[in-house]
Amino acid sequence: MATKTPEQINEDLLRPLSVVSPRYFVALAIFLAVVIVAGSMFGRQIYDGLGVTGLNRPVFWAFYITNFVFWIGLSHAGTLISAILRLCNATWRRPVTRCAEVITVFSLSIGASFPIIHLGRPWLAFWLFPYPSERGIWPNIRSPLLWDFFAINTYLIGSVTFLLLPMLPDFALIRDRASGFRKRVYGFLALGWRGTPKQWHRLETAMHIMAIAIIPVAVSVHSIVSWDFAMAPVPMWHSTIFAPYFVAGAIFSGIAALIIAMAGLRKFLHLQEYLRPIHFQNLGKLLLVMSLLWFYFVFSERLTGWYGNEKYEMSVFWVTQRGSFAPLFWTMVFCNFLLPVPILAIKKLRTITGTVIASIGVVIGMWIERFLIIVPSLTRKYLPFSWGTYRPSWTEIIITAGTFAAMALLYMLFAKVVPIIAVWELKAGQSVEREHLETILAASEAEAGAD
Amino acid sequence: MGHQWGMVIDLDRCTGCEACVVACHAENNIATVGDKQAAGGRAKHWIRVERYYEGDFPDVKVKFMPVLCQQCDAAPCEPVCPTFASYHTDEGLNGQIYNRCIGTRYCANACPYNVRFFNFYNPAWDKPLDLQLNPDVSVREVGVMEKCTFCLQRIKAAEIEAAAEKRDVKDGEIQPACVQSCPTNAMVFGDLSDPHSRASRMAASSRGNKLMEELGTRPKITYLQRESWNGDENA
Amino acid sequence: MPPVEKNRMQRRDFLKISAITGASAALDACGSPDHQLIRFIPEEDLIPGVATWKPSVCTVCPAGCGLLVRVMEGDAEVVRNGQLGLMQMGLAKKLEGNPAHPINQGKLCPRGQAGLQVTYHPDRIRTPLMRSGARGSGEFKAISWDEAMKRLMAQLSSLHSGNSHGRLVFLTSSLRGQRKNIAVTFTGAFKNSQYVEFAFFDERVVRTANAASFRHDAPPTVDLSQANYIISFGANFLGTWNSPVAQSLGYGQMRQGRPGTRGKFVQFEPRISQTGANADEWFACAPGAEGLLALGIAHVLIADKLRPASSAGAAGELVEGWSGGLAEYAPEKIEAQTGVKAETITRIAHEAAAHAPAVALIGDAAAAHTNSLFNTVATNALNALLGSAGKPGGIQFGSVWNSGSGKSGVQESSGAAAVQALAAQLESDPSSVGALLIYGANPVFATPAAWRVRQSLEKAPLIASFGSFIDETSILADLILPDHSSLESWIEDTPDSGSVRTVVSVAPPAMLPLHDTRPMPDVLLDLAHELGGNLATALPWKTYDDAIQADFAALYKEKGSKDAKAADDFWSNAQQQGGWWGPEEPAAANEPGGKSTAVPVKYAPAQFDGNPGEFPFYFMPFPSQMLYDGSLAGLPWMQEAPDPMSTAMWGTWVELNPSTANKLGIKQADLVEITSQHGTLRAPTMITPGIAPDVIAMPIGQGHESFTRYASNRGANPISILAPISVAGTGALAWAATRVKISRVGEGSVILFGASLREESPDLKHR
Repeated sequence: MATKTPEQINEDLLRPLSVVSPRYFVALAIFLAVVIVAGSMFGRQIYDGLGVTGLNRPVFWAFYITNFVFWIGLSHAGTLISAILRLCNATWRRPVTRCAEVITVFSLSIGASFPIIHLGRPWLAFWLFPYPSERGIWPNIRSPLLWDFFAINTYLIGSVTFLLLPMLPDFALIRDRASGFRKRVYGFLALGWRGTPKQWHRLETAMHIMAIAIIPVAVSVHSIVSWDFAMAPVPMWHSTIFAPYFVAGAIFSGIAALIIAMAGLRKFLHLQEYLRPIHFQNLGKLLLVMSLLWFYFVFSERLTGWYGNEKYEMSVFWVTQRGSFAPLFWTMVFCNFLLPVPILAIKKLRTITGTVIASIGVVIGMWIERFLIIVPSLTRKYLPFSWGTYRPSWTEIIITAGTFAAMALLYMLFAKVVPIIAVWELKAGQSVEREHLETILAASEAEAGAD
Repeated sequence: MGHQWGMVIDLDRCTGCEACVVACHAENNIATVGDKQAAGGRAKHWIRVERYYEGDFPDVKVKFMPVLCQQCDAAPCEPVCPTFASYHTDEGLNGQIYNRCIGTRYCANACPYNVRFFNFYNPAWDKPLDLQLNPDVSVREVGVMEKCTFCLQRIKAAEIEAAAEKRDVKDGEIQPACVQSCPTNAMVFGDLSDPHSRASRMAASSRGNKLMEELGTRPKITYLQRESWNGDENA
Repeated sequence: MPPVEKNRMQRRDFLKISAITGASAALDACGSPDHQLIRFIPEEDLIPGVATWKPSVCTVCPAGCGLLVRVMEGDAEVVRNGQLGLMQMGLAKKLEGNPAHPINQGKLCPRGQAGLQVTYHPDRIRTPLMRSGARGSGEFKAISWDEAMKRLMAQLSSLHSGNSHGRLVFLTSSLRGQRKNIAVTFTGAFKNSQYVEFAFFDERVVRTANAASFRHDAPPTVDLSQANYIISFGANFLGTWNSPVAQSLGYGQMRQGRPGTRGKFVQFEPRISQTGANADEWFACAPGAEGLLALGIAHVLIADKLRPASSAGAAGELVEGWSGGLAEYAPEKIEAQTGVKAETITRIAHEAAAHAPAVALIGDAAAAHTNSLFNTVATNALNALLGSAGKPGGIQFGSVWNSGSGKSGVQESSGAAAVQALAAQLESDPSSVGALLIYGANPVFATPAAWRVRQSLEKAPLIASFGSFIDETSILADLILPDHSSLESWIEDTPDSGSVRTVVSVAPPAMLPLHDTRPMPDVLLDLAHELGGNLATALPWKTYDDAIQADFAALYKEKGSKDAKAADDFWSNAQQQGGWWGPEEPAAANEPGGKSTAVPVKYAPAQFDGNPGEFPFYFMPFPSQMLYDGSLAGLPWMQEAPDPMSTAMWGTWVELNPSTANKLGIKQADLVEITSQHGTLRAPTMITPGIAPDVIAMPIGQGHESFTRYASNRGANPISILAPISVAGTGALAWAATRVKISRVGEGSVILFGASLREESPDLKHR
């Protein structure tokens, strides 16, 4: 990167927009097929009813809500992380921010669809909108689900803005280099960006405001998601630790998702020179901190529960520690802690491969964590006579798989339309801090060894 | 008016016969779900008789406890509903307005007593079993929650009749289907705001307590504990 | 609560909407055959939305509870003169107890509630049927009533005139009132005929013993409401035995109905029943040792001078060695045989003596061992000794109204032995039975396979069934002449227990019939008139309701009435309140000092089929709380109502003790094979602490091969593998006298409503 000219940067980063390999189409077709199958399963679910799932009494929430929390959690990858890095002026962030913010927008959209997918009567989901309805009532503002509705929508709007703003100069760049129809489309998207100092100034100011504003919104979103559970008097749900625990878990899984996405982009879009080991190392360190923090939360949650020895909580506690959910629980501990911590703590292992392995573990582990927060409590809710079990149906499994495919699909499409690394930010970083950056990069790369 | 409907269940009388369970099905148009759905944990019994074994053979003891919606005054099911489908009526009941329900099932999770039931499929009655349906009770469609209403249709009918006759509802005039059928008279229904109603007086019994009251739900059903036999006292 | 805005619909909107919906409804009607049905003239006097309550009588078990049927207006598809159409009519919506009825006093058990589904059952036979395929194939074709009657007449007239060799056999369930009188008289008018009554739970042993001890051929009316001490030997009196609603009413009163007094209840049985689950003390006694226990308690009462032996009167003298003080039944001597500790027996005897009135009951499996006549007579003697025979707080017998005086000299037999004899006869000489009429009984399902009832019925020349369903027995019929449901027909009942008052229930039809069916008594009366001769004189009534009215005229003549001046009033009052009940005057249970004509009985150990080495477990079938004897298995409400003890739905199961399961390597819900000397069945297990380690128990009721869409091919039928042995001295099937072995087949499944068997109950005491 140190030796790249602005023209080379343009070339490298805009290449994926014009060059498409056959492998891309194959992958696209596969993901699209999975999404279509999942969509048709959802269609059948609407037609027949939620009976096609494995839900029952008393396990009324399971895979869909797990997916909801998981995807909303992943969304913290981007906007929150990039906003923090922006505010901290971490210069290494520049190639990372956009791919992070895209994760946010897509995973938030996917996550937000789950409360609708999981509804008994999804065609009435619009009743959550506060509008003067013919029913003569407003939504119930006391319901955490309504808080979700507002928080997620706010976060989604904020994230989209946060993503779109710094894309304007890049759209303009593409507009200037394209012709015909593409020129018209990108011209429209660029919203008349001409690169005047005034525009640059306004963009910087807007980004700064957004970066500050989005952080509390992001924190509130996952806090509110946690309150979906913590507000209900269900054993092991009704906990004061849930909000920070969920936020930490969200950032944790978000970073992991970002590392995986970056590694994918690096490989498939040949961005080795832009997404460098240093990025993975730095994100790896962040992931390590979050892993330790996650463990701290789980430990203190479990410890206080166990020490309190309240009988209803204990029946949930033991079914996760030793009972039928124990295999999942210990898998989660392995994936979220035992696996990533050594990899990320030992400098030699904190390579790109290492961080990706740790991240895959974390993503799996965090999905299981959400499942374990939701389901065991419901299977062991108070009166033992009405305890239950849960087994997902194929519909739930396929719809879950479909959302992962949808994420990949959206990401692939996005990377073909917009430079996944912010071109102007990279250039700006280079021109402003070239010398400074060079010394840092040289030093850290010598430290980390060759890629 | 200001009725506060409540119930007293004497566990010393309850024999676990489940007459209440079937009476409730008949009165409230509760659909049977069939063996496959029942195996999946989707059977709907607005009232159930919980059975607990204690001890081992031969010193085994059994306890029966009918559990239905406790019509809590501080019901966890109510605030969580985003559409006010689950709400508190003026007469202290945990109402469930089926038409408002969009099926988040949040109320069912929040309910500590697991007395809320979900329509995983559209209910079906093989013809002509549909002729048994009670016209006073609506049939719930797929995707909505349903629960014990304390036989609201009977309460309303009695209140309307009393209003027409310009009087108050008499104590004992209203009997939910479960109370009506109970062969041992283990259940008593009445107005808890009237200190002289039979239910109020029985609820004040020293044997009375409430199910999982420690959760702060303020249930309106009082359970009278089973007694043990004391020969000398009875002699 | 959110503010609800008033719905403000403009008149114009309303017109628009009604135009649209009207048009769509009209279009809809073109497409759907449902809406092309003709409409019959609606029933009069119906106000839509307003309920009326009509009396009726519950017929799902012999208890004879009174019903109030909630009737509301509705549209039903009905058949009139062979034409299907829609009719606006009163429809039964709910069955409730009749508060005026002396037996159930406004209460109703789960089975009674579900009786409604018989009327609306989708698999009810809707029209007369004639067999069109091989016997048992289940292939029938619909025929008209004229055709059906003609076919039946052809056979009956040749039998009646004596042109044809062979007897008329009428096989029914336990009938009462004019319904029975008509059936018996009809049968008896045939020179060569036999009337056989069969029900699986017919209390035959208890009846026989009561006839011997107290000269009442009836089950006891138990006055639990005033009892202070209840000793029950296996009787599931709060569940299915005898008159469960009446007994439950008394039980509630016994527990908490008398301020300051709470009676005690002790149950002895090898497997905890729903009733035993409510006992203050539950003891697992050895199967067949109940009589020993009764006499052990009696011995203590006599030996400790708590009661003189002579106070038991004739009931006591029936037990050999009674006057000698029953020394051989001393608690220490019977401890090993009964499995109950001597000090327990002594303590219970002293408690019972101190807490009069004390009452002893026996029933269900305890009355279905080979020695159960002894067990029951011994229990009767204990009751007499405790001073509770014929007394409040004890067992009593009301006087039973006997409909119809005309006993026509028919050969009348009842019980399992009679069915066995019939089967044997058919097997050896099928032509000896000219025609077999079947009403309400399902002997193919409810008798041991070893009796080969199915195979023998297959040989019968003509079988005509009046059944409402195709079951294992009626599937063999050549002709099916479907009866009305009990809600659609006149009904009369004269229950012989449950109240000390004389009860004659009566009710007109609660609703019009849905299908092309006819009441069985009316069919018999029609046949009688057509056959003429002695039949026309013996059965002078045109219709069944005429016959009931005549019965009430006779009842009025004999009993009179305080609240009605004329017989007409008597009759209409009875119809209005659901029957006539006499004053409370229990018949004397026994005449003190009077000599019983019966022969004294003495103890013999219960015999069990199968040697203990090869078949190590006692096999205890038990009545199902929901399905009773299996006759209710076709009702979806009953299938889905959880069994009180196991919480199982939609299936059957086998109960065994955890230690037994452990020893055999059997886990919860494993599929096991139960083998007796007479057959094998498979079912999933239910491991429960409430059963003795040497006992395996199984509910009766499932395992139907053909009985509606809800019950067919579901679970297993324990009756099928029972040993064909009877209770000595009674002719009743000893259905608790079979030994079995058990082996694991593989994993199975059982549908439970309750989650866990072993969890502690929530501590309600915690405040």
